[in-house]
Amino acid sequence: MKNSIEKYSPWIGLISRLILGGVLLLAGYLKAGALDKSQMAVRAYEILPIGVANFLGIVLPYVEITIGILLIIGAFVRYMAFAGGVIMFIFIIAISQAWARGLTIDCGCFGGGGQVAASETKYLPEIVRDAGLVLLSLWLIRYPVTRFSLDKSKN
Amino acid sequence: MTKEDGSPKRDNFTRNLVVAVVVGVVLLMLVPTLVSKKSDNSAAIPAIASVKDGYGISFNTDLASAPKIDIYEDFQCPYCAGFEGLTGEYIDGLIKNKEAKVVYHLMSFIGLESLSAANAAGCAADDGKFLEFHKLLYANQPKTENSGTWTNEYLKAAGQGVGVSSQKFSSCIDDLKYANWTKNIANEAGSKNVNSTPTIFINGKKIDNAKDLVSLDAFKAAVAKG
Repeated sequence: MKNSIEKYSPWIGLISRLILGGVLLLAGYLKAGALDKSQMAVRAYEILPIGVANFLGIVLPYVEITIGILLIIGAFVRYMAFAGGVIMFIFIIAISQAWARGLTIDCGCFGGGGQVAASETKYLPEIVRDAGLVLLSLWLIRYPVTRFSLDKSKN
Repeated sequence: MTKEDGSPKRDNFTRNLVVAVVVGVVLLMLVPTLVSKKSDNSAAIPAIASVKDGYGISFNTDLASAPKIDIYEDFQCPYCAGFEGLTGEYIDGLIKNKEAKVVYHLMSFIGLESLSAANAAGCAADDGKFLEFHKLLYANQPKTENSGTWTNEYLKAAGQGVGVSSQKFSSCIDDLKYANWTKNIANEAGSKNVNSTPTIFINGKKIDNAKDLVSLDAFKAAVAKG
């Protein structure tokens, strides 16, 4: 069993890196193309003061792009997986609180976002998807040595 | 690739160089973006836009006692076209008969064609044809967002359709004269926590679209209630 983990974990890690990194890169790229909407999406969660939400609406897409690229090329895999996992965990909390408070918003995960009609919310699929991504990040934190990675050491 | 045992002497120079380049490029994109999103007090604004009313195109704001209707919209937003179809005639009447203060906040978050359209509407306002131009654009809203329909030529032709054909109007469109104005509108809308369109405030109070926009009568009642 231990041997098979050693044998397959670099490949599982590669796939995890590409999925987690690819999702982050795509999400950041789509948001960076429509920053007004991105700011609107962050405001719509109604957690942060408007000024902070507007700032985050601009910065977050670029942070996602950076983490996404570094995961895809395999640089600082353990740290980037941790950062990506933390971001996804925060998204889960933010979406859950919106759901619990009865807000009707689109998560704005891949651009878009803001208030939508009650029938257009899809909180559960959004949370399940983000939870899956958290699992991938946990795997990479545990097994950061992956195939085709720029990292030459475990960190 | 095969010697992945994590020995500390291994050279990470390439990786660190690549990371530095990636982070550097991202910062080079992010910082100017952050700066450019700030409001621009010296931005050119259409003559009937009012700074104290959130840079909106404003009508009758000098009336003493009349309800104030703030409309936050985006020319590409389908629900805004629906709102215009439902209430357009009524609001035009309120403006003409001086029965309400009306402020149009032309947002452009849906994309570049929203920006072009908002800019062009500002240009049309300078020729006194804002309401006509506004109506015409909504009546001809493309089915999909940013489809490439609302080119500068299209917007100029739309202007001619409502009787605006001055040289000033075409250069206003070509130069995106009011681009920074739309940025200020976006910031003002953000500070009012406008997170979707259309968002309507009556006397500063956000109305409930699900209830107050189901019919023209419902909207009229909301306006009357104040």
